[in-house]
Amino acid sequence: MTTNAQAPAKLYYEDVQVGDALPKLVKPALAHIQLVRYAGASGDFNPLHTDPKFGEMIGIGGIISHGMLIMGFVGQMLSDYVGPTALRKFDVRFRGMTRLDHVITCTGTITEKYEADGEGRIAGKVQAADQDGDVKVSGTFVAALPRRS
Amino acid sequence: MFDKSKIGQSFPPFTIEVERGKIRELALAIGDDNPIYQSREAAQAAGYADVPLFPTAPTMFTFWGNTKMGGQLVSLGINVMRILHGEEEYEYLAPINPGDTLTGVMTLVDGKTRQGQGGSSMDILTIEIRYTNQNGQPVLNAREMIVVREEGV
Repeated sequence: MTTNAQAPAKLYYEDVQVGDALPKLVKPALAHIQLVRYAGASGDFNPLHTDPKFGEMIGIGGIISHGMLIMGFVGQMLSDYVGPTALRKFDVRFRGMTRLDHVITCTGTITEKYEADGEGRIAGKVQAADQDGDVKVSGTFVAALPRRS
Repeated sequence: MFDKSKIGQSFPPFTIEVERGKIRELALAIGDDNPIYQSREAAQAAGYADVPLFPTAPTMFTFWGNTKMGGQLVSLGINVMRILHGEEEYEYLAPINPGDTLTGVMTLVDGKTRQGQGGSSMDILTIEIRYTNQNGQPVLNAREMIVVREEGV
């Protein structure tokens, strides 16, 4: 295994094929305390995500997760797959509200391999869905991978 | 309804220092206990120069770095309590390491008002934040689309 100061070679360009599935990530059931903790870490203290009374008041029935926490779950899957410094682009659309006790599973598929800026790159689509298959987040990513040669 | 004359407007730059402890805090809050986010030693043992940026760390740069963001959004003519997050996008242009000082400039790049049934409406705004590091090098572009529902709908 080669060592590179910025991007450890966990996965090589040659090893990835279009259509490959990313190793999926299943998160524990969403707990209120995780939203409080995430609010503090991220700096997003919107009461929509932390104060059940506020959620009742505006008619969404309790609290809902920060969308960015669910994007973070997908980010964890990508970090595990390619390593964080390999990412070149990561975008998501928020499609549904995630509530307490939802169990989120992140999945992804490789859609493209190409060369750009002298790098071997892979592109893929990703999503996060709950225990009923309702999609909360869908998006795409691009990562640069080292070559074996 | 937001003020369409504000499309294209940028706000004064803000700065944020990239901190190892904040990256660890974010990773742990998300539930990622990968040691590369825990300490420089563990990151180096895995071949990184230092603790790497968690993929969604840019959200911290915005919330903790641009403390005036709430007021800036209000100045666009929207009710910040009625914002829903529609999309989020990051382009990672160059390495970002702990100790770097980033400067962010937020711009309202696009916006439209969509009319619904019964006279209701919603604003759909795209905000971009371009970050450069202490050497003036562009390192990250963040774009988010937000939806603001009109009051009383």
